[in-house]
Amino acid sequence: MSLSTQVLTPEIISQEGNAMVLSMGPQHPSTHGVLQIVLEIEGESVVKAEPEIGYLHTGIEKTAENLFWSQAQTVIERMDYLAPESNSLCYALAVEKLLGISDRIPQRALDIRVMVMELTRIASHCVWLGTHGIDLGAISVFFYCFDLRENILDMSESSGGARMHPNYVRVGGLNGDLPAGFNEEFDAFLTKFPGRMRDLRGLLQANPIFQDRTIGIGILSPEEALQWNVTGPSLRGSGIAYDVRKAFPYTGYETYDFDVPVRDEGDAYARFLVRLDEMEQSHRILKQVRERLNQPGPVMIDDPKVAGPPKETIALSMEALIHHFKVVSEGFRVPPGDVYQAVESPRGELGYYVVSNGENRPYRIRTRPPSMYNLQSVKSLAPGNLIADLVVILGSLDPVFGEVDR
Amino acid sequence: MPSTQTPPLAGAALDPTALRPDIDDAVIERVEIAALRARLEALKADGYAMLLDLGAVDYLERTPRFDVVYHLLRLAPQRATPEAIGKPQRVRILCGVPGDEPHLPSVMDVWKSADWAEREVFDLFGIVFDGHRDLRRIQMPYTWEGHPLRKDYPVRGAAAERSPRPAFALKSNVQAGTPPSGETLAALQDQVKRAREGNAT
Repeated sequence: MSLSTQVLTPEIISQEGNAMVLSMGPQHPSTHGVLQIVLEIEGESVVKAEPEIGYLHTGIEKTAENLFWSQAQTVIERMDYLAPESNSLCYALAVEKLLGISDRIPQRALDIRVMVMELTRIASHCVWLGTHGIDLGAISVFFYCFDLRENILDMSESSGGARMHPNYVRVGGLNGDLPAGFNEEFDAFLTKFPGRMRDLRGLLQANPIFQDRTIGIGILSPEEALQWNVTGPSLRGSGIAYDVRKAFPYTGYETYDFDVPVRDEGDAYARFLVRLDEMEQSHRILKQVRERLNQPGPVMIDDPKVAGPPKETIALSMEALIHHFKVVSEGFRVPPGDVYQAVESPRGELGYYVVSNGENRPYRIRTRPPSMYNLQSVKSLAPGNLIADLVVILGSLDPVFGEVDR
Repeated sequence: MPSTQTPPLAGAALDPTALRPDIDDAVIERVEIAALRARLEALKADGYAMLLDLGAVDYLERTPRFDVVYHLLRLAPQRATPEAIGKPQRVRILCGVPGDEPHLPSVMDVWKSADWAEREVFDLFGIVFDGHRDLRRIQMPYTWEGHPLRKDYPVRGAAAERSPRPAFALKSNVQAGTPPSGETLAALQDQVKRAREGNAT
């Protein structure tokens, strides 16, 4: 099946009066993935916009239903591929609630989880800022952002073993403790960050071209934001200070001192500023985490039903080997029940509604994808703007299509 | 091939939602289809301004078969600081939908965000939302048949339906290893026999 001819019916290309129907994407550099927007345009301005999604649908939810609880986490982490840890943490928290072990997670595991979450937030915002800059013709920002992101990916590699999808956060704790020398790497990043942040702000924040392109563009009123179910920085750019970390704290966020940046304007520039402020707040949290990292301790729950034996005992003890085999080959069982767990992902409220029927596989995992709901608001943001501004609006909403389509 | 995950047949396990209401994540309510719209509108008037999520679960053996799950969030609708918003509150509405004729009233006119969420549930579960203005498939291709997230939808297609291998793969070493006919086998045995005789002389 030829996708473009099948989906684009003749009336889409037809002309009707002065309005013309045009398809933007699915292969368009500014759609940050595979998104098609069917536009009705009059001259250069958009009359109506209808995003068509699903080009990246891979059936992650269906796949996860047929894997063990621990295996499902691996595919779930691939939803939001720019902030993979937020997926795995949210899922792990949901399963821990179902298992009833939420209050027995070791303190060090909680601290490292917060660190991983905030690092992934900065990394994700770096990709957003770099690509947002490129969309608007500011190419150099991209290199500064990706340099910063590279440090975070390196840290992800040394802590979790992989750059993109480390699967570091596990049900019950973490895959392993931080390696020797990690704290120095972390310190170097914390020292480098404020200067790099100054550079990024200097490149864009007061840049007259950038301001011309973003101020007053794509204004999302608070009422509209609630109607469209927008969350995360896009909601906070519209003056509503809803942050899951403050509203429904998890993994000990209530013990950290940080602010929730809010802007009232509701335009693309406000969302830009909120995200920049958010990166600085993440840095503030990371500095507090760094002090706690000096405390050694276990990083996995002491519960043989959920966690396997320590790796070093497997080669020495037969019981440990049997235990390891049982946990890996059979998985663990989760008591029946349903739970909704949300975290503040870089894009907004990421939630999982998880249903267990007592088996060793999840019965159903329903994702609340923040990108999908945020993207939907394009339908009311785009009309009245120029096509070129639609690119700005899309960039300012920061959708990730692995999560929109799943 | 049926789904590898067979739903348990024991009565209690058919409805896990009733078993553990003590997990503190939301206020849980179960409503009938007839009362659904009125209840959701009342909640919205009560300050639950956001339809956080709309999803569905298929309990294959249960009556009613499906659960459509609404998550609502209460926030102050006006511009507000965290202090003014106060403690946000989530509520979860569960609504059973029969399997033979899955119909449900749409809430697209109450919350605009229900648009794509209802389309997704329609696409993946085949639950029809009456009153939805544009109920099309959203994730699957529009020519797709069936609703993939239903529990009786197979995880893998039958081997015959898989796409055929390219031509070069068909004449690969897989066939060379297994002689197709007795003739080839006899020829091979003959070759081995002659090789042995040659060694002996």
